Amino acid sequence: MHIPDSFIPMGQAIVYWVIALPFIFMSLKWARKELDDMKVPILAALAAGIFAIQALNIPIGMGTSGHMVGAVLVSIIFGSPMAGVLVLTLVLLVQGFVFGDGGITTMGANILNMGVISGFTGYYLFVALKNKTGIKAASFVGAWIGLLISALTCAVEMSIAGTFPLVAGLATMGLYHLIIGFIGEGLITAIVITAIEKSRPDLLDSSVTNAKGVRA
Amino acid sequence: MSVAASSNMNMKFLYAGIAIALLIAIAAPFLASPDPDGLESAAGSIVEESKLAGMEESAPFVESPMPDYSIEGQGKMGEVAAVVAGTILVLGISFVLGKAAKKN
Repeated sequence: MHIPDSFIPMGQAIVYWVIALPFIFMSLKWARKELDDMKVPILAALAAGIFAIQALNIPIGMGTSGHMVGAVLVSIIFGSPMAGVLVLTLVLLVQGFVFGDGGITTMGANILNMGVISGFTGYYLFVALKNKTGIKAASFVGAWIGLLISALTCAVEMSIAGTFPLVAGLATMGLYHLIIGFIGEGLITAIVITAIEKSRPDLLDSSVTNAKGVRA
Repeated sequence: MSVAASSNMNMKFLYAGIAIALLIAIAAPFLASPDPDGLESAAGSIVEESKLAGMEESAPFVESPMPDYSIEGQGKMGEVAAVVAGTILVLGISFVLGKAAKKN
């Protein structure tokens, strides 16, 4: 879902940067407040893992592929969508500047879509669901729908940019990411969260585990 | 649990995380689907051909040193090197930024 430079006119690309910047600053503020010597290694390992897994495109049929985004996974582990914004910002910076994956002018839009929108929607959906469905199902649904909503937002941005027609863009992006979100985002997120909950529940933020009584 | 023991466990988590990330990075160039991603596929199917050709021809705003996760003329090994380098770079930046940002 990395938007290249040519997909959004410069003026609009700047608007998305302006919207994304406060979230980037808030994520740095979160890091200042929440990170300590125990959490920094976890954050760094997660960021590296998400960069690597984003290079692994999974075929989804129809001549299309997709990869995990990871903002929801990071947000759930740290108990804040700001963690997802921070990690995705770092990953997208390296992808954009070093590998030409996603444009520099459109990086604001990419951070907004994959970091902020996917992270916030997915994390709060997870929070809303976890007491009713348990951590496994809630992380699956949160990650799946978080990715889908961010793809639909991307389609709206493409329509404002005049790149995609609105309805066709929503339908196509929606269909592809419904599938990518299910496999790449939902399943992987649920598997990783479940594995961490089983082996190292202390790594998960207490707001996540308390609901299930793991720490009680 | 003492802080030191817990910190030691988190360093183990770091090493395990790095090992998994590097394994994925090495495997990615061989396993990754060459099919375009959702956004590119959507562009290919709903954007007029002439407009799409124009968009694809326009150069990126900034030229990147390793475009498309590859090193020119180095084939698959270049791709592995590129993804591994990126993984280590992200790891380093996150670690340094995290250490710099954390509360004292």
